[in-house]
Amino acid sequence: MKKYILSSIVLASLVFSSCKKTFLDTFPTTSVAATDALANTSNAIAALNGIHRVMYTQYDAQGQAGEGSCNLFRDYMGEDLVYPLANGSTGHITWYQWQNHRNVNAGDMRFLYRFYYRLIANANVLINGIDGVPGPDADKKMVKGQALAYRAWCHYQLVQLYGIRYDQTTKPNTQLGVPLMLTNLELGQGQARATVEDVYTQVNKDLDDALVLLTGYNRVGSAAKSNFNVNVVHGIKARVALTQQLWDLAATSAIAARAGFPLMSNTDYVSGFNNITNNEWIWGSRQIDDHNPFFFSYFAYISCNFNSTVIRTQPKAMNQNLWIAIPTTDIRKNVFDGNIGAANTTPVPPGGAKVRYQNKKFLAKSDALSVGDVPYMRAAEMLLIEAEARSRQVGQEVAAIAALNTLRTNRHIVTTPATIFVPSTSTGQALIDEIMFNRRIELWGEGFRFTDLKRLNLPMSRAGIPNHLPALTLVTTVPAGDKQWQFLFPQDEMNANPLIVQNPL
Amino acid sequence: MAPTDASLEEVVVIAYGTAKKETLTGSVGTIKAADIARRPLTNVMNAIEGAIPGVVTSSSNGQPGSAPAIRIRGFGSINATSQPLLVVDGVPYAGGSSNINPDDVESTTILKDAAATALFGSRGANGVIMITTKKGQKGKNNISVRVLQGSSKRGLEEYSRLNAHEYYPMMWEAQRNQMVFPTTGVGISYDSANRVASGLTTRPGIQSLLSYNPFNVANNAIVGVNGKINPAASLLWADDLDWTRDVMRTGSRKDYSINFNGGSDKSDYFMSMGYLDDKGFTMRSDLKRYSGRLNVNVTPKTWLKTGLNISGNFTTSNQASDGGSTSFVNPFFYSRNVGPIYPVFAHNMTTGDYLLNFSGNKFWDLGNMGGTLGVPNRPSGGFAGRHTLAETSLNELNFNRTVLSARNYVDITFLKDFKFTNNVSVDYQVQRDASYENTIVGDGAPGGRSSREVGSTTNVVLSQILNYNKTIRGNHKVGVLVGHESLNQMDDGQRGFRQGQTVLGITELNNFTTINAATSYLDRYRIESYLSRVTYDYKAKYFVSGSLRSDGNSRFAKESRWGTFWSVGGGWNIDKENFMNRVKVLSQLKLRSTYGVVGVADGIGFYAYQGLYNFANNANEPGIVQSQSAFLNRELTWETNKQFDIGLEFGLFKNRLTGTIEYYDRRSADLLFAVPLPLSSGALTANKNTATMYNKGIELQLTADVVRWRGITWNTNINLSTVKNRITKMPESVPEFITGTKKYAVGASIFDYWLRSFYGVDPTDGAALYVAQNTAASSTRRLIDNKTGGKDTVTTSIANGKFEFQGSSIPDLYGSFTHTLSYKGLSISALFTFQVGGKSYDNNWAALMSAGNYGGALSTEIFQRWQKPGDITNIPRMDAGRLVDHNGASTRWLVDASYLNIRSLNVSYNLPKNLVSKAKISNAQFFISAENLAFFSKRTGLDNQQAFSGVTSNAYPPARIITTGLTFNL
Repeated sequence: MKKYILSSIVLASLVFSSCKKTFLDTFPTTSVAATDALANTSNAIAALNGIHRVMYTQYDAQGQAGEGSCNLFRDYMGEDLVYPLANGSTGHITWYQWQNHRNVNAGDMRFLYRFYYRLIANANVLINGIDGVPGPDADKKMVKGQALAYRAWCHYQLVQLYGIRYDQTTKPNTQLGVPLMLTNLELGQGQARATVEDVYTQVNKDLDDALVLLTGYNRVGSAAKSNFNVNVVHGIKARVALTQQLWDLAATSAIAARAGFPLMSNTDYVSGFNNITNNEWIWGSRQIDDHNPFFFSYFAYISCNFNSTVIRTQPKAMNQNLWIAIPTTDIRKNVFDGNIGAANTTPVPPGGAKVRYQNKKFLAKSDALSVGDVPYMRAAEMLLIEAEARSRQVGQEVAAIAALNTLRTNRHIVTTPATIFVPSTSTGQALIDEIMFNRRIELWGEGFRFTDLKRLNLPMSRAGIPNHLPALTLVTTVPAGDKQWQFLFPQDEMNANPLIVQNPL
Repeated sequence: MAPTDASLEEVVVIAYGTAKKETLTGSVGTIKAADIARRPLTNVMNAIEGAIPGVVTSSSNGQPGSAPAIRIRGFGSINATSQPLLVVDGVPYAGGSSNINPDDVESTTILKDAAATALFGSRGANGVIMITTKKGQKGKNNISVRVLQGSSKRGLEEYSRLNAHEYYPMMWEAQRNQMVFPTTGVGISYDSANRVASGLTTRPGIQSLLSYNPFNVANNAIVGVNGKINPAASLLWADDLDWTRDVMRTGSRKDYSINFNGGSDKSDYFMSMGYLDDKGFTMRSDLKRYSGRLNVNVTPKTWLKTGLNISGNFTTSNQASDGGSTSFVNPFFYSRNVGPIYPVFAHNMTTGDYLLNFSGNKFWDLGNMGGTLGVPNRPSGGFAGRHTLAETSLNELNFNRTVLSARNYVDITFLKDFKFTNNVSVDYQVQRDASYENTIVGDGAPGGRSSREVGSTTNVVLSQILNYNKTIRGNHKVGVLVGHESLNQMDDGQRGFRQGQTVLGITELNNFTTINAATSYLDRYRIESYLSRVTYDYKAKYFVSGSLRSDGNSRFAKESRWGTFWSVGGGWNIDKENFMNRVKVLSQLKLRSTYGVVGVADGIGFYAYQGLYNFANNANEPGIVQSQSAFLNRELTWETNKQFDIGLEFGLFKNRLTGTIEYYDRRSADLLFAVPLPLSSGALTANKNTATMYNKGIELQLTADVVRWRGITWNTNINLSTVKNRITKMPESVPEFITGTKKYAVGASIFDYWLRSFYGVDPTDGAALYVAQNTAASSTRRLIDNKTGGKDTVTTSIANGKFEFQGSSIPDLYGSFTHTLSYKGLSISALFTFQVGGKSYDNNWAALMSAGNYGGALSTEIFQRWQKPGDITNIPRMDAGRLVDHNGASTRWLVDASYLNIRSLNVSYNLPKNLVSKAKISNAQFFISAENLAFFSKRTGLDNQQAFSGVTSNAYPPARIITTGLTFNL
């Protein structure tokens, strides 16, 4: 009898030992399902916030902190940002040497390329999916508008680097631009390069659509300025128009962009360019201590006070010719230190080197925290766009001078008794030169110099600038229109996208 | 002709049971306790190298406790795991192999073919390593003691590098040539450039770039305009240039264990305790392990048998920071690559004297003293602001781990031929990882930062197995097994990371001011299986087996998660046939063959099929962002592995010579792969079932007593293996993809290099030349006369270098031989491992061949660089402006990967019985053992065994451990 009881138990245990049906359904606890991004508008807003976040997170390696790092890459390639010490840190130096953008295996170049396309892919999910999501219409418009603005801005940033410059006199611009990504492709497919003309057409369309959708949207919250509103979109439109040499559109867009954004005070000007609440900032990223960006952030490379090897041993300096040309009554001279030794008051980290013409424009939160808000668009830039665009238009010099003087007046140092402000009165090329000079000293370190030279078809020349060391620069001059003005596509893109055509080597 | 060798009666451990080796259809290799008893192994896996044909291991690094990677019969997967399954006492083991005290191990069995592994279904495709721990012997009570005491040293020499006198002129040349050969524009003359580099102009010369002048001559008199070092130059701090002196050390190793075992008719027991203290040859790298085990089996009723095997251990370990190959805290990277002119401690730059701090001690030269005390900054290449000795001394990187492992079974026999087994097994491990980075130098400075992570893994396996075994009319043996099994793994952890140290000396998080990260996770992984097996043999002469298993795996979507796996096998003991009686020389002959299909799912993420967004809050606003590698793929499913195997086992001259020759053909299909996507898609990779490939090979094992003469025995064992790996199919959507130095495409192996073809060096100007991809005329194109009288189109721009397949890292042949010479109680045994053919990509060497990284060390092979027009060489011009073109990834860095390793050597002596028996001791043995005694490769410093991919990194070199030991029984 015992045998039968045992056999029954055994058989029963075999039959009934199967697991519950849901036993094999397991889900992660540190991520959410992709479908949740479009489950409702509040999730879609979270997915938009995620894009804002990856504007300043770290990518594959140190010094790859989203747009802040890309801004530095573009400025290293100009004449105005100097690596002053022969034996100093070589962090990021291959950009300064014009090697990185021509090295298909360079990690930084791969990062820059994938960074913009990562934003585009996230934006496309929202652009193409938000319409069917349950939730308030206003939220949907806001999300879609911002996503379109992202897509436009990213394509614009890419085409400036990878395509030959846009030339209004040779329309249509049939030279190859970059892949234009409007939908997220099936896996394994690649997208060919669109022409530069087509890229700009789409950029402008996306910006116009965004303007319609964002009308009436008010940014809120502690990180409000990391969002696109109509001001930011007008500002991008102004930049795009400037690049396309559409002077009138550039000027009117710039005026629209800075509406409501007064220029900052002298005091704010020397407070470190790290605070999004500054009146003048139209667009920027907000970083909080919790995000601790360690050694990778924008400020870990461009501040004067964060304790990293890069900053201690290779503080960044201004082109000395440029600095010498700044009037002593201009506050912008004061964010660089013309002294050496004890007279140099730059707040360097412990053991940090001091050099003449040293940058102190950018300050990290402390020597131990490389946190700081990252500036992307300021009212000053919009005044400079307006001034430049008007100065290049026939018969608009008065408007150009007015815009320039608005900025210069503000930057004039407030003292008691007051020093005399000498307004600009130049005309013709001298006026253009003065505006460009102001652009260089105003926007140092904010990522405009390479694209300014390229859009204007100018050469890059460090000749005659004594604080550039030939042993470090390796490259003194690059002629206008040289093939080196075009970035190369990273090898990983070449490997996985059979449709891509490399730029001339 | 009767089999005399006891090995035929041998019982081997197989999936869900044991089997007589005689009637086993599968391919199985065993390492016994006696084989490892005399070796100073902290991790039992290190015994596998060279022990069994068809099994290849990477070198384990010098970190105490580290395990080698193991591949059985080729490389089964690309992105999923190729590592074999580790099974301890019959159940897959969730913990690391370093948890196991090697002295507890009775046998390590390696299952190689599909029939042997199929019953492990989804997890057995890459072979199975089955560790069986010791149990008590019936009828006697023993006390066994094992004591080992030894030391460890670096087992692999450093690459040969330039000294200070050689280095300065070489870097001078790099600067000079950069001015003569600028990347754009026209260069200056040699004469002018020589003067600049020597420091005779206002422009910075080589001394400014290298920053330190280690010689007793003026800064502008170190290297003359002729490029030669000043003959009067002698070093100011010659005794302080060795960066390894204080970081490396002679390690020590203490390994003690004792066990008590015995048994009676109804029960047996085994109790052990072990203590290990293994200090590596690098500062702050050690492992201490306290282990214990209790294995009890009882038979309280005739129909009931049950047992419990519980083990626990507590491990503490300091870890050398070799995680990142080019991370500044990695002491191997740092000491290998720092220029030979920079002192470890701060010196007076004029007199060369050590500078002393207020308490009269030397202090570290951190390389960014910024001119204070006259000590300059080191340049970037010389690791300014980083200091391997300071950081290794001040930082902490350690863990402690508690492991509890239990195996319980209840066997119920009923109806005479049936046995039901219920197994419950639990592996629980909790590990606490701590790291601290100091306030003085490195990533933690100036605030100091600390992280604590506690993670646990709980692995519960339940199985219910029903066995039926019957012998019919004496000659027919039938065995049937059916069962059900579930695996439930749960991993969870929390991590805190803070910075801003308040007081020195305490590294717990409370002592820090700012939170950098506070995270947690909980992951679940589950498998459910139904399994069955049938075996049959006739007079142990003919035998067959078959198995069937169905697995569901939580890594896949509901509709794709179930896979069915099976195997069949057969064998024939030819020596039992009557007609074999005439063949006297042949003492054993067995033919066997198997075929089976097994699945692979491990090694890809737990949620591999799911499309995911990650959390990404923007400041304080909640946010999520698309994962760049997790896209929904509900079709993602099992990778399958079909293996055919045939083997012949033989013994000659009364088994004085025995051997096995085997052939296998392993086909992997639907390989799981994270396929690289165009960067322009905004994604990086997507998980897909992609390629099909095969691994084929021949394995030969021979063991012979070459000499048996007057008590002298010389035994030789030879293992030889080949593996041929080929990808045979790629999906249409992704016909090929490139990752790192490799490309996967039809016809290639998974380890075929895909690199730009380095052509050589142009004798006219020393430029590095590559075979041109685009041959159109351009400023970088050159036409070079070739040997056949034609012209080769080459380029000086590495970006235009042509990518081609460049051979494989897989060797043509690998193997081992063991010689054992014994005379009476004395025995000497040596194990050699080797490989022939294959190529290594020597990254470490490439870093030492820079054309001008100011401050970085250089290989002595740089002496062969191009110097003047007409020089015929393969080493390009030194030129600090051409690092990309002269040093980029290409075939230049490939080297023949053949090697020979004297893996282990030991000498042992059995103390005479009459001597020790007075002390009531039996089996006393004294021995001396060495691991990694010598390594021979194509280049000093090159470790070809480091990675199967052939790519070298700055890893912790293997340790040479020399130990003395004593074992005895009471």
